[in-house]
Amino acid sequence: MKLTTKLTLFNAISKLVIVTLFILLLPNIIENINKSYNDSRLLKQKNKLLQIVKEKGIQTYIENGESYGMYLPLKEEYISLDEVEPGYHLDTIRDEQRLVERDTIDYRILSHTFKVDNKNYLLEIGKSTETIGETTGPLQNIAFQLLLGMILLTILADQIFSTYILRPLNIIIKTKLIGNKFPKFTVYKEVKTSTTDFQLLDLSIHKMVETIETTFQKEREFISNASHELMTPISILQSKIENMFELDIADELKVRLLEMQKILNRLKSITKTLLLISQIENEQFLKEDKISARYLLQDVYDEISIRLQDRNISLAILVIDDVELINVNKFLLFNMLFNLINNAIKYNKPDGEITVSAQWVKNNYTISIADTGIGIADEELPYIFNRFKKLKQSLSQDSFGLGLPIVKSIAVFHKIGINVVSEKGEGSTFTLTFPQKVTGELPAK
Amino acid sequence: MNVLIIEDEKALAHELELFLVKNNYICEVSNNGISASEKIAVNLYDFILLDLGLPDYEGLDLLKEAKKANPEAACIILTARAEVNDRVKGLDLGADDYLAKPFSLLELQSRMQAITRRKFGITQNIIELDGFLVNLTERTIIYQDQAVNAITKKEFDLIAYMLLHKNRTLTRAQLSEHIWGSVINDDYDSNFIDAHIKNIRKKLSTFAPADWLETVRGLGYRIKTNV
Repeated sequence: MKLTTKLTLFNAISKLVIVTLFILLLPNIIENINKSYNDSRLLKQKNKLLQIVKEKGIQTYIENGESYGMYLPLKEEYISLDEVEPGYHLDTIRDEQRLVERDTIDYRILSHTFKVDNKNYLLEIGKSTETIGETTGPLQNIAFQLLLGMILLTILADQIFSTYILRPLNIIIKTKLIGNKFPKFTVYKEVKTSTTDFQLLDLSIHKMVETIETTFQKEREFISNASHELMTPISILQSKIENMFELDIADELKVRLLEMQKILNRLKSITKTLLLISQIENEQFLKEDKISARYLLQDVYDEISIRLQDRNISLAILVIDDVELINVNKFLLFNMLFNLINNAIKYNKPDGEITVSAQWVKNNYTISIADTGIGIADEELPYIFNRFKKLKQSLSQDSFGLGLPIVKSIAVFHKIGINVVSEKGEGSTFTLTFPQKVTGELPAK
Repeated sequence: MNVLIIEDEKALAHELELFLVKNNYICEVSNNGISASEKIAVNLYDFILLDLGLPDYEGLDLLKEAKKANPEAACIILTARAEVNDRVKGLDLGADDYLAKPFSLLELQSRMQAITRRKFGITQNIIELDGFLVNLTERTIIYQDQAVNAITKKEFDLIAYMLLHKNRTLTRAQLSEHIWGSVINDDYDSNFIDAHIKNIRKKLSTFAPADWLETVRGLGYRIKTNV
């Protein structure tokens, strides 16, 4: 899930939880507010009445000892004044029921006793509870709608803001990480942002990429220099051995020289291969050749047929659609196919089969090399193109695990895709997918 | 023939000299660019073997000097620098051939022989081996007016290479370097030479026994001829 989505989702959920809690608590809150508002009104009314009594005397309400009582037509409010026993004392506000003209109604009642002219009076002001609570419902509704609207607005605002604030991060990911092709990097371009964290991230990624680039460069240079430096001593040894063959020495000694020559050849082959890989990676080769796929495969076949014969392996080359490969290096393509087919021979079973097919698959020209060989185990598959990562199966063979790295370097150099499907004991299929720059055309429909 | 070896690596220069002297060439050695430049200015050579990677001199400049002072000399560039650009530059400046280090002495010798043949216009390059006529220029083998057609390109390469070094035992490594020199692969010790030789013998023996193609036990192969 994207970071902005996560942030927005979190914001929305947290707000919803808070609002729901608030709405659930709303009736209680409103009731409390109503009650305290009502109570203070009752107190005001009481004070006003006491004021009237003080100014105009109790006679205003009570004449001849009769009690005073009055209520609104709908019995929402009532007021009563009574003479009570001298010792009676009350000063409360509470919910009670009163019977008014045969109706039992819930009231919030203020009761207060006071003395006038040595007589004790009880004042009661009541307000029906129903009228107190009747605003709760509408209030809750309005609050709910208002809050919902506000939530939607803030979610929208959050989404817009987080997208805006995280935009530099997206740019960094897209241009600095996904866009870059290791080990070739584009020139550093600062990502414009006022967020210091992103500035730091951008800079750190840039520094990291620089370090990786330098390391790659150093490795390439080292391999190139080391291989070059090795060539001279190998050359001297080779010439020395060849000259010793010319001497009049015993055959036994010559056989030993031959052993030395073999070891030297191995050293030479490794050095040459490394040098070739480093030359490819340093783009020392030109891609200006033109060659038909059929001709190229025939060329490889001519070179390799002796190896097939040696192990009695049959090779079928099926050029279903021929195509002229352009912008390529013939020498390198030859080496790539040679190595793949040579591997198919080396890792095949005796009397096995190899099928090379060249054809259009959808809009891509492909050459696939399928063998009936020993196959590659799943756990080894990710490492087959690694330099010097010697596979178990090749330990018994006369190789040093550089065939596939050559193939890989040449493929990368030409932007050719390689796909490997393999099953242990059943065989492997290597499929090369050529870019349009190399095939130069689309299949004739 | 006079050969000037320009090679700063003394051990390699010495081995080159040893080999060429044994093969009847007259050699001079320069271990640095300055002395080489002097020698080129003073003497005439048939061959100049030039190492491009000299510490004191730009190899390509030396090549220019050589072409000017010794236009008849055939220049073969010997270098560890196998980059395309160097190769192209060297050949553009008039080098006759190019050998990347490490190279086989026999390879050098056959390239020198090829240059000599070209230079002296030797077209008659037919060698007779017990009735088989091997034509090195036309790359054909004929036995009593019948062409041995079955011989493949690689097989002929092998025969031709052994003929250039006739009466000398060639190891499998030497033969394989010659015929598979340009293919880079990771089997360092292929014995496919044996398979090729077997095929050649089989194809020739349908015409006549080819005893001149000898196996030297434990070492390699040789073409034995009195011609």
